[in-house]
Amino acid sequence: MKKFVIISGLILFFAGMISSCKKNDLPVDEDGLLITTRTDCYVTNFELLGSDFQTVRSKAPVIDTALGTITQEVFYGADLKNLWPQLSLAQDCKLEPKITGKTDFSDLANPRQYTVVSGNRQIRKTYKIIITVQPK
Amino acid sequence: MRINFRSYTPALFGIMLLAASCAKDDAYETPTTKDQLQNDCIKRSTGPNISGGMIEFAYAMALPASRGKLVSAQVEASIAGASGTYLENNSYYYSIEQQKDVPVKIGEPSVTTGTTTVTTFTKDTMASTLRFFYQIPEEAKGKSVTFTFSAKSSNGENVSYKMGPYEISTMDMKLDLNMTDGDSTYFSVADMKVYAKNQTVDASKIDLIYMYRTSATASLKHALVSPGAPKEYLQDFVVPGGAANVTKLMKTFNLRDQQLARLQYGVFITDLDFKAVDFTNQPSYLFNLKGEGGTWVETADGKYRAYIYINKVDDAKKSMVISVKRYQVK
Repeated sequence: MKKFVIISGLILFFAGMISSCKKNDLPVDEDGLLITTRTDCYVTNFELLGSDFQTVRSKAPVIDTALGTITQEVFYGADLKNLWPQLSLAQDCKLEPKITGKTDFSDLANPRQYTVVSGNRQIRKTYKIIITVQPK
Repeated sequence: MRINFRSYTPALFGIMLLAASCAKDDAYETPTTKDQLQNDCIKRSTGPNISGGMIEFAYAMALPASRGKLVSAQVEASIAGASGTYLENNSYYYSIEQQKDVPVKIGEPSVTTGTTTVTTFTKDTMASTLRFFYQIPEEAKGKSVTFTFSAKSSNGENVSYKMGPYEISTMDMKLDLNMTDGDSTYFSVADMKVYAKNQTVDASKIDLIYMYRTSATASLKHALVSPGAPKEYLQDFVVPGGAANVTKLMKTFNLRDQQLARLQYGVFITDLDFKAVDFTNQPSYLFNLKGEGGTWVETADGKYRAYIYINKVDDAKKSMVISVKRYQVK
C-alpha cells in the first residue's frame, strides 16, 4: 500500500512538471508579442504628457473609431514639440509606429497618424491625432 | 520488528544541525575606556557642496573624569568660511519625551578668526558633541577644502581629527527669491538676481519675465516668459527696449532638489545633471507653473544653465518664491 502511494505521488509530480513546461501553441511576432485570435482593433484611451510628465490635456479626448480620429485640446502654451503620447489599445493589439519618447506635434496642419494592429495581426486601423490649442 | 537505522539518518542529521546552530556565542565583553582625550567626527550634510550653501559636521570629544575637563574645541579650514560659519556652543542629546534633539549650552558662541573657529567651554564638561557649520565661500568654487578638528583638555592634552578633502562645485545657488507680478518681475541668470520693474536693469541681462495672468478659457496663472519669446506669449507685457534674450526652458515637476526645496526628499542636482539636459527644440515660455515644480534653463548665449525650483506660488498675491542652482557651461 505504502509503495503504491509513493509511486502514484511521483507519477503525479512528473506529470505536473511536464504539463507546466508545455510550450504555448500561440505564435510570437517580431516584437516578442503573442499573436492571438482576437480581432478587436481600436483605441480605448488617449493621454498626452508634457516634458514634466504631467498631462497637457485640457479636456477629455474625443476618440472616433469610425472616422479614425482622436481629437485632443491641449492647454494654452503647451510645448507641442515635446509631447509624450500614450494610447491605450484593445486587448492584444499593438501600435505602429512605436512610441519611444517625446514626439513633435507642432505641425497642426499635418496630424500625426498611428496604426492599431489587432491581436491576430490581420486587421489594421489608422488613427489621425488632431491637436487643438485651448483658446486664450 | 526490525529497526532500520539507516532510515533515521536524515532525522539525526537534522538534530545535529539544530544543535550546532544553537551553540552559544562567546560572551560579550564591555570595552575598556581608553585613559586619554579622544575625538571623532562625521559629516552630517549630504549632496554637492555649493558656494552659498553649508557643510555640516558633528565633532565629538570626551575624556575620563579623572583626566580633567574639556577646555576648547577648534576647527581649522583650508579656505576661510564665509560669514555665517560657526561651531556650536551647544551639545545635544535626544529626548524621547520631546522626540527631538535638546541643546545643552557648554560655552559662549564661537569666534572665527581667519580660517580658525574656536568654541571655549565654560561649563564643566567631560564629553560633548559640537556641530560645525561651514558656509562655503565664493573663492572655494572649483577647489577642494579640508578641515582639522581639534580639542584641548584642562590637563594639556590635545587631539585632532582631519576631514576631507571635499570638492566644492562650480555651481552657484540662491535661495528664496521673491517674484511678484508687475513689481519684482525680471530674473537674470548671469546675476542670479530678481530685478524690480522700475529698477534700472541692463536689458541684455534679462533672461526671464515673471507674470501672473488669468483667462476665462485658458490656464495661464504663474508664467515665466523670456523677453524674446513669440509676442503672443508675452500677453500684455511691455518688454524693456533692448531685452530680446530667447531663454530655453524645460518644465519639470517633482524634481525637488533637497538644497533648493529643503524638503525630505534625498534628491540633489549636480554638475553632471546640467550637462545632461538636452535643450533642443525647447520653448522660451512656460505657463501654469506650480509649487514644487520647476524648470531647467539655458541662457540665450549658452553660457549658463540653471535649475529654477518653485518653492511657493501665491495666486492671491500674484507672486512666487524661487530657489536657483546655476552652472556655468562656458
